[in-house]
Amino acid sequence: MKMEQGQWNPYVAGALSGLVIVGSVWLTGKFAGASTSFVRSAGMIEQFFSPERVSQMEYFLKEKPIVEWQWMFVLGIMIGSLVAALTSGSFKSQAVPDMWQAKFGPSVSKRGLVAFGGGLIAMYGARLADG
Amino acid sequence: MNQLLAGLITGVLFGFLLQKSRVIRYDKQLGALRLQDMTIVKFMVASVLVGMIGVYLLQDLGLAKLSIKSTILGGNIIGGLIFGLGWGLIGYCPGTSMGALGEGRWDAIWGITGMLAGAALYAETYPLMKNTVLTWGDLGKITIPQLLGINHWPVIIVFIAVAILLLRWFEKKGL
Repeated sequence: MKMEQGQWNPYVAGALSGLVIVGSVWLTGKFAGASTSFVRSAGMIEQFFSPERVSQMEYFLKEKPIVEWQWMFVLGIMIGSLVAALTSGSFKSQAVPDMWQAKFGPSVSKRGLVAFGGGLIAMYGARLADG
Repeated sequence: MNQLLAGLITGVLFGFLLQKSRVIRYDKQLGALRLQDMTIVKFMVASVLVGMIGVYLLQDLGLAKLSIKSTILGGNIIGGLIFGLGWGLIGYCPGTSMGALGEGRWDAIWGITGMLAGAALYAETYPLMKNTVLTWGDLGKITIPQLLGINHWPVIIVFIAVAILLLRWFEKKGL
């Protein structure tokens, strides 16, 4: 394991993230998760085109296309990461990750296509496993 | 406190820590999957240990309720295998893809778009899954202490001991 400059020890950051979760459970009774919010967002997008169809789909009745606690949590992850990156000078606009580039080259579209397909497959599996 | 604001603040704190420890990077996630760099596993294990102890303490003190999901072997195993395949390709999980985007790694946008498509596809096929895969090996809302018929603290202590052995081994191997 190589430590980058400014990188926090993973044990310390992990333990602190555990405290954040415990605090959330204590104060609001909410347990963290992320993938359900992608279902809600997909429902919101589909609703824009065909609200009647969405209102009859069983899965969107179970996971309603609304903004709730977890949706804001997922949005917060992006903002927290942005703040941490900007305040430490580690923000970097990058279209192809280093390790990817070393193996598969600098093509942005190649990386984009695989990221899209991978995201699709990963989310389907995550939802099937319910987590 | 307002639920939406509470969610946002929790997410900001969580995202901040994810970025600081670099666990949202593609290179770190693939590093773990290739068994070369266990940074994200260390983060996750530390988070789980603190979370496990804290949440069970809260429960014992009557300050919180556990949120237990059903164990459905069909969904958990098949879904887990499919997730792993996709994770290896995208190199981000659903939460970390948002964090990666936050620190400028905008290849995450394609991944997030794919995830939205995957969620939509799952919604389409949910009735089929519900009648097939999700009926296979449905064990209900079970926990390990419950299965063993013992108090949760001995299980937690064993869990901590095994985690420490695993982490020590990672450190010894320089992972």
